[in-house]
Amino acid sequence: MRALVVDDSRAMRRIVGRILGDAGFEVLEAADGQEALDLLAGPGDVPELACVDWNMPVMDGLTFITEVRRHPEWRAITLMMVTTESESDQIVRALAAGAHEYLIKPFTGEAMLEKLDLLGLLPTSTGV
Amino acid sequence: MTIASAPDQALVLAAIEQVWGSMLFATADPWPTERPAEFETGLQAQIELRGEWNGRLVLTCDAGVANQIANAMLGLGPEDELDEPDVHDAVGEVLNVVGGSVKGALPGTSALGLPGVSEVTEVPSRDESFVVSWGDAPVYVQIVPDAA
Amino acid sequence: MTISPQAFTFVRELVRAESAIVLEPGKEYLVESRLVPLAREAGHPDVDAYVADLSTRRSQAALMKVVEALTTNETSWFRDSDPYTTLRKEVLPLLAKTRPNRELRVWAAACSSGQEPYSIVMTALDTPELAGWKTDVIATDLSEEMLERGRRGEYSQLEVNRGMPATTLVRHFERSGLNWRINQSIKDRVQFRQLNLTRPFPPMGKFDVVFLRNVLIYFDLPTKQDILRRVRQVMAPDGHLFLGAAEMTMGVDDAWERVPAGRSSVYRIREEQRTCVPW
Repeated sequence: MRALVVDDSRAMRRIVGRILGDAGFEVLEAADGQEALDLLAGPGDVPELACVDWNMPVMDGLTFITEVRRHPEWRAITLMMVTTESESDQIVRALAAGAHEYLIKPFTGEAMLEKLDLLGLLPTSTGV
Repeated sequence: MTIASAPDQALVLAAIEQVWGSMLFATADPWPTERPAEFETGLQAQIELRGEWNGRLVLTCDAGVANQIANAMLGLGPEDELDEPDVHDAVGEVLNVVGGSVKGALPGTSALGLPGVSEVTEVPSRDESFVVSWGDAPVYVQIVPDAA
Repeated sequence: MTISPQAFTFVRELVRAESAIVLEPGKEYLVESRLVPLAREAGHPDVDAYVADLSTRRSQAALMKVVEALTTNETSWFRDSDPYTTLRKEVLPLLAKTRPNRELRVWAAACSSGQEPYSIVMTALDTPELAGWKTDVIATDLSEEMLERGRRGEYSQLEVNRGMPATTLVRHFERSGLNWRINQSIKDRVQFRQLNLTRPFPPMGKFDVVFLRNVLIYFDLPTKQDILRRVRQVMAPDGHLFLGAAEMTMGVDDAWERVPAGRSSVYRIREEQRTCVPW
């Protein structure tokens, strides 16, 4: 399985990438929404999962998610916001735009694995 | 916890404790007022909040401490040498997460800027900041409202 | 600094031997994040060095610290997710057919800081067959401190991240400073009481569902047998018992039968045992 990590912080990309790598994902990285869209439009298989930060330069995560949901060929991508935005209203906005899950920073690796389990994306999970 | 309309020291400290504990595997304690908290060259990270309260959070620490924070975040040994951009990025992200937690605790929905990190040679005034511990070293935290 | 396969295997075998909990491959990050603080405390540069030292010294106290770090504090919402799916899709709809008074009583027998009983209430609210029903949960624990946390119903950002779907969070919680507070309507459905499982139970009435998850592992066999026998006495004859993933009644109290459900199992009192339970 492939996962795309979209975050402007290299450190955060490394952390998320490592958790996903340990969980068996092949990890791709992008530093903002536009870079992520370009990557999706390029050659290679569409990833099963995208973990997306909200506040990024060039294109933010909410716009990225809205764009992804506009493309039928990317429908299979599971979208999870991974962000420090933590108001209820913001979570509702992200879900309405098409995010499937939402993980608030700071988080532990366990919390991320549990979210993946909820989404049926761990080798041991069958989904809810 | 009561809901403050402006970020105060207790709120920011609580957010820092949470971030230190979960992302850096460290504890943050208030630095005793009488204890000196000097350093020569340091790193300063800032992030803006825009909403019912407008201002910025500023975090300043010694360059070596910044390197340690970055290492802790990335799960490396405390003395591993990281590139300067990596250290800047990690410290900026730490403040970004602190800022987001603080923002979420304020009433209404505010906007958070992107973190900015620069090198500084001056330690902030202790009157205008509070100091928390990173291990055995001080980290300065300032809550700076926009000038009226 | 990713944990080496050798170190992971060592820790996995240790935890399995001591707690019957299996750390599946993919849990490397969990092992490492839990052990980093211990490694630092013991003065090792990383987890691999710490584990290497543990495996040569074999100090029982140090080994148990590792087991403890990896087995306690598991306070997720909808923990393991599967039991709650089973509850919503199978157990509650089945019970709904046989309760004309439209009332259900659930016991969360080791409720810790409240995530389990609140998860049960939220699951009942998501069960269409229970629309308009009254579902009450009695939540018990040995620790007054834990019960107090449960009653307060306020959880940190880190705690609400654990296993809770985002839709559930925004539906049933609101921000309270840095924390999130569960809605009063959910709180009202849970009653927290102090209870020691190893002593005779106080009068509690009968329960349709009992959650006794991840607590039997801490007791010896005679205590396990005694607890399971007394749980039978407070169960409705057609009630359902949920145990932890690493726990079972087989060989402990055979008056229970295991019913496979989803990826896990639930337990029911055997038909022939239902009439002769001494009240």
